[in-house]
Amino acid sequence: MSSYNPPSQTAQVQPMISESARSVEYTCGDCDAQVSLKRGEPIRCRSCGHRVLYKQRTNR
Amino acid sequence: MSPDQLVKAKEESEELGGYFIVNGIEKIIRMLLVNRRNFPMAIKRGAFMKRGAGYTQFGIVMRCVRPDQTSQTNALHYLNDGNVNLRFSWRKAEYLVPAMMVLKALVETNDREIYEGIVGAAGSEGLEDKQFVTDRVELLLRTYKVYGLHSQAKTRAYLGQKFKVVLQIPDDISDVDAGTEFLRKIVLPHLGSNNVTESQDADKFRMLLFMTRKLYALVEGECAVDNPDAVQSQEVLLGGHLFGQILKEKLDEWLNSLRLPLSDWGRRNEWPTFTSPQFQRDFIPKILRKTNENIGQAMEYFLSTGNLVSPTGLDLQQTAGFVVVAEKINFYRFISHFRMVHRGAFFAQLKTTTVRKLLPESWGFLCPVHTPDGSPCGLLNHFAHKCKLATESVDVSAIPGLVARLGVSSRSSASLDASVVVQLDGRVLGFCSPKQAKAIGDTLRYWKVEGTHGVPLELEIGYIPNSDGGQYPGVYMFSQSARMYRPVKYLPLNKLDYVGPFEQPFMSIAVTDPEIVSGDSTHVEYDPTNILSILANMTPFSDFNQSPRNMYQCQMGKQSMGTPGAAGRYRTDNKTYRLQTGQTPIVRPPLHNEYGLDNFPNGANAVVAVISYTGYDMDDAMIINKSAHERGFGHGTIYKTKICDLAEGTGKSRSARTVSKLFGFAPDGLVMAKWRETLDDDGWPRIGTLLKHGDIIAAWHNVSLDPGSGEYINRDGATQFFKYKEDEVAFVEEVRIIGSESGLDPCQKISIKLRVPRSPVIGDKFSSRHGQKGVLSQKWPAVDMPFSESGIQPDVIINPHAFPSRMTIGMFVESLAGKAGALHGIAQDSTPFRFDEQNRAVDYFGHQLMKAGYNYYGNEPMYSGITGQELAADIYIGVVYYQRLRHMVNDKYQVRTTGPINQLTGQPIKGRKKGGGIRVGEMERDALLAHGTAFLLQDRLMNCSDYMKAAICRRCGSFLSTAPTVPEFDKKKRGSSTVRCRRCATLAAGMESKSDIWTDGQGIRYTGGSDVAVVAVPGVLKYLDVELASMGIRLKFQVEP
Repeated sequence: MSSYNPPSQTAQVQPMISESARSVEYTCGDCDAQVSLKRGEPIRCRSCGHRVLYKQRTNR
Repeated sequence: MSPDQLVKAKEESEELGGYFIVNGIEKIIRMLLVNRRNFPMAIKRGAFMKRGAGYTQFGIVMRCVRPDQTSQTNALHYLNDGNVNLRFSWRKAEYLVPAMMVLKALVETNDREIYEGIVGAAGSEGLEDKQFVTDRVELLLRTYKVYGLHSQAKTRAYLGQKFKVVLQIPDDISDVDAGTEFLRKIVLPHLGSNNVTESQDADKFRMLLFMTRKLYALVEGECAVDNPDAVQSQEVLLGGHLFGQILKEKLDEWLNSLRLPLSDWGRRNEWPTFTSPQFQRDFIPKILRKTNENIGQAMEYFLSTGNLVSPTGLDLQQTAGFVVVAEKINFYRFISHFRMVHRGAFFAQLKTTTVRKLLPESWGFLCPVHTPDGSPCGLLNHFAHKCKLATESVDVSAIPGLVARLGVSSRSSASLDASVVVQLDGRVLGFCSPKQAKAIGDTLRYWKVEGTHGVPLELEIGYIPNSDGGQYPGVYMFSQSARMYRPVKYLPLNKLDYVGPFEQPFMSIAVTDPEIVSGDSTHVEYDPTNILSILANMTPFSDFNQSPRNMYQCQMGKQSMGTPGAAGRYRTDNKTYRLQTGQTPIVRPPLHNEYGLDNFPNGANAVVAVISYTGYDMDDAMIINKSAHERGFGHGTIYKTKICDLAEGTGKSRSARTVSKLFGFAPDGLVMAKWRETLDDDGWPRIGTLLKHGDIIAAWHNVSLDPGSGEYINRDGATQFFKYKEDEVAFVEEVRIIGSESGLDPCQKISIKLRVPRSPVIGDKFSSRHGQKGVLSQKWPAVDMPFSESGIQPDVIINPHAFPSRMTIGMFVESLAGKAGALHGIAQDSTPFRFDEQNRAVDYFGHQLMKAGYNYYGNEPMYSGITGQELAADIYIGVVYYQRLRHMVNDKYQVRTTGPINQLTGQPIKGRKKGGGIRVGEMERDALLAHGTAFLLQDRLMNCSDYMKAAICRRCGSFLSTAPTVPEFDKKKRGSSTVRCRRCATLAAGMESKSDIWTDGQGIRYTGGSDVAVVAVPGVLKYLDVELASMGIRLKFQVEP
């Protein structure tokens, strides 16, 4: 992931690729499992179904 | 759960509960002091006379408590003519009934029985001295004849007929049954409120007779009034009891609300029976559905607001303030909430201070030290740490039999010298001689401590001896819940006994072993510190301090930045304080460990020198060693939680909301590199980012739902932000992403925990544990600090002038003990009352110091850090535990020269948050005047306030008639500096010279009116002029020179 985000193209297919690359890792508030979410995905832990996620500390 | 399980569940390891969590806020139902149950109290109150003609100030009040803990107060009023009326409240309305009528209704009786019940058996001792009572009882019986009710049934029918509507008794119930219902519900319900038997009615009858008897004794002056403000005649309204009462009432209300739909249904369906299949079918969908059965919501409302919505008022004097937030500023604060007891909001507005007084009856039950100063002083108390509260009734089934065996009979004499009453929970067990009463009290107590004969240990046996016009004598026993009781040692058996506040004033309890008087003392305290609350016990050597200082410490201990809990990581409080470098105090009582306070440190040990060193320690200021500061002394943190909610302000209910905004950068928009400094790919802040004022903390964009694909589509490509609005820097500690309740909708809410570092800065508040608060005035470089011969430098310097007037000797002793403890590596016991004149604290700790090679008295020669020369005097230096208080300059400083102003008056607005000013009020003005500081006064009240240059016409003396001229041709040059008076001007005739003519905004040409001056006035003056003009008053100013 680079800090530079080119503005997405007008084509329909391309943002899908760039967005799928842009998934962010979270930690489940209940079971501490890693949850990787993309833009627009519902907030929910995949393993336990908890609805509160924590952002992880990253150094990009 | 076990501590391990609790920790795994992300809770405090020693979590005890005892509070409700409502909308994420911890709430506790606070305890209230109410009148003692089932005890007829003699009251003299001027307000009683307001009930009507003939009413006197005398009354007997009894708060009767039913088994379900709901209460009904019955009061007997004495009338001038000797009559007695029973007063009660029902659904917030008051009713008065002749006591005779109730007596006659309770049992099938006759005048003689009543007469003898009140006065005493015929032929008994002291009857001839009872002229006062006999006269009045005779009158009582005679005046009742006017009602012409001659039997129990007729009396009941009469009462039933009168109260049928009030008590909401169905019409088809007979008057007699309604009267029975009246007696069941209202008259002394503690003696029977359910399936009342005849013997229970007889109990009520006897109790009512006793109350009348006590009332006459009160009027006659034979007994004194009971003090309702003393803890002796009080008990505690427990949270659970109150909760139960409300629940009962809500259920009752709901049950009543069933009636309307039920009769509605009946009318429509031609009254089928309840056993019919039609009813079975329709009951739930057609009848029950029409009622509001949401009792949970009502309870939630109560817990979140503390307001009591009740048709009956629950026999309480207040309707609000039952619930408080259990603040977790530090652990002391938190734990104090659970030991807190309030006298009632009603008493807070009382002008008299009698209710606030510390009475000797409170000994051992309420802490004499731990009450706030200021408006809640004496009303908000805390329990002594050994005081317990009965939450259950104890088994007293054996008592009546035992008492009967000890010689109690139902026959009473007329004189109190011959017979006194024996009661159990407001039930008259019988009468006996005063001598026997003492024997009964003593015997029962012996059995109670011994644990034999079925007398429970928690029973309260209040033996009130005969006296000359003192409290009405007798033996009164209490076994029910909501009582306070406390442990003391019973001397005859050398065993634990519990005493209650009712019996305590008439017992001889020695405080210490040497105080035991042979043949008099029956009990001895386990420890004199049992009278103090948890917090008061934590003040070291508090017996050496002047008492108000200990009260201040109880306040400040609760305001210190400490450790609110170990599970802070999982909490999302709006604001929490935390001390980073907490330590266990070297000087502490063993109770500190017993209550587990080491898990929640509240301050740090500091080497304190009492010396006037730099001049920066004047007036309660303190200097801290810069190096101590750098080592982390007093370093604290504030955690704040900010919630970014996209759905906020849409105004719809949670279910009806539609998603119109999404978090993240707009997908087709431009993302600036600047934005990415604080935000991640997802538009949420990165953990650990430093935030300054105006930084962005979350990005969002507008979306609309595309019905075809079911996706949210952004159309404008614009990204918008939540911003960090505070002035202080903060770090992002945690970002919680809160998913929607359904789990399908996109995220609408995040919660960001921010960490604001607060290292001590000049102006922050610190205090020792002796009410010695001070403000940090300098961080003095270590090289310039004084040092002792062993090279020790103080962490903190305080001024010696802090001591003479405050007399906090405890702080000196703590310093000494702390020093000795630090040198020997031991925790010192700082329990108060451990030292005396023979056995002095100074000697004890002095010896320890001496053994460590230090000066016996704790002072040492010191050297100036600046010159290196030895200071002329030896300096008192030791180790004192210091608390950092949560009042910090960063939250308080307020400064302005210019800034936002009020639109109307032009004066500065108030409020620190808005950058407003501090008012220079009348008193400040007076002080400035008295000092002759005219320039300063002018500066504050004019130049920095609503200074204004205004044009005034010298001739007519008016502000309002002046107007700027408008050049006729050159419209661009509006707002020219020339101002003319329109009032003094005359319309131009056309022949004047062009230079004399001026034009106003409407283009009308004038001449003259040029005698206009510009003066500096307060802006409000002009405003006043306008306001007065609107009322037709003209102000005229004389402008000179």
